[in-house]
Amino acid sequence: MSSITLSTVLRRRSDVRYRRIEGEAVVLRQSAAEVLVLNEVGASVLDLADGERSVRQWIEELTHEYDADADTLARDVLTFAGELHDAGMLEEVSGEAKP
Amino acid sequence: MSFGEGFLRFPDLFPGRRGGEPWGERSLVLEVAGGPYLVAGLSAAQEEAAHRKFVGLCRPADAAAAVAIHLFRAPSTDFLDRDVRGWEYTLDRDYSPGAVLLAGLRLMGRIDWTPALTGGLWTSHPGGEEWVSTFENFFRVLTAYRLLEQGSALLHSAGITDGTSAWLLLGPSGAGKTTSSGLCLARGGTVLSDDLNAVEMPPQQPMLTRLPFTGDLGDRSGGPASFPLAAVLRLVKGEEDRLLPLSPGRALAGLVASAPFVNQDPWRREDLFGTLERLARSVPAYELVFSLGGGLWDILKGIPK
Repeated sequence: MSSITLSTVLRRRSDVRYRRIEGEAVVLRQSAAEVLVLNEVGASVLDLADGERSVRQWIEELTHEYDADADTLARDVLTFAGELHDAGMLEEVSGEAKP
Repeated sequence: MSFGEGFLRFPDLFPGRRGGEPWGERSLVLEVAGGPYLVAGLSAAQEEAAHRKFVGLCRPADAAAAVAIHLFRAPSTDFLDRDVRGWEYTLDRDYSPGAVLLAGLRLMGRIDWTPALTGGLWTSHPGGEEWVSTFENFFRVLTAYRLLEQGSALLHSAGITDGTSAWLLLGPSGAGKTTSSGLCLARGGTVLSDDLNAVEMPPQQPMLTRLPFTGDLGDRSGGPASFPLAAVLRLVKGEEDRLLPLSPGRALAGLVASAPFVNQDPWRREDLFGTLERLARSVPAYELVFSLGGGLWDILKGIPK
């Protein structure tokens, strides 16, 4: 069960590589040869998972990018972040997000 | 567990370069996708076993070759005895920019890229079935890297042809590659392999090419055979037969997951993604839901070419 909250800072694990193709992201966790396919929002979450910004900051950025209801977007992003964390694609970074 | 510890008594003494005492002075050339491959340093018993296994693929030792594999002796004391009951075969791999190191049952191998892709295999098997199995375990990996180097791919898949076109069926173990291959075989299709196939990428059209690496079905003794690839299909077991569209992203994901050995190599991932993305964009991709009724053959034949 994921413990991701709005203040969590996440980054892509070092063995994770991905490629965007026609609105989807193909994500490879290389050490285990596991492959996932994410939609556009999921791909954006991967782009934003730089270990510096919090989940709250991702949502702020994505609210500008997508014409979507803020609450729905926040819920989707938290879900995506949790699933990617549980799948071993993202890892938590200790400390505060950069402003 | 660090590299080689599960197989080697002295992992720290893994050969640092391609060299050692050859088993003998015999050699042969194998006509396999990505090759031909020269296998040098064989004893008479090893050469005979290889001829038996790769019948239609063997060429005279003086035939031209593109890739060389050198075979060396290793004492049996270099290897750990391992209880293989219930064990699924695997190889330890260690990746670096210039080489891939392999350790397995009675096997140490290295694939080097300096100056060109070359293989080195150290084993304690003097000949017979065990030797040729050890060689094949190494050769599969080397072929995967050679194909990748050429902008092609070795894929865990079933390769089916009607003699004119070919279809690549993808899916993890248990997805039904052997079952669907058998259903096609029963309707008059030919199974290239139900385990590993090569997709070569000439500019005109991707080609599905036979490899001598089969599971339960396929012809490992025949020479190379290539057919235009009509479609990539992700297998799903179901109650009825039907064809569903598959997005390029999902097709690429299926291809990456089906590229053994190289899909875990961090130094060559961009080459792999690039090659497989070209493939995903250049042939139609579908999800093929199939039942045991055998209707999948008619579906394959009905895919526009």
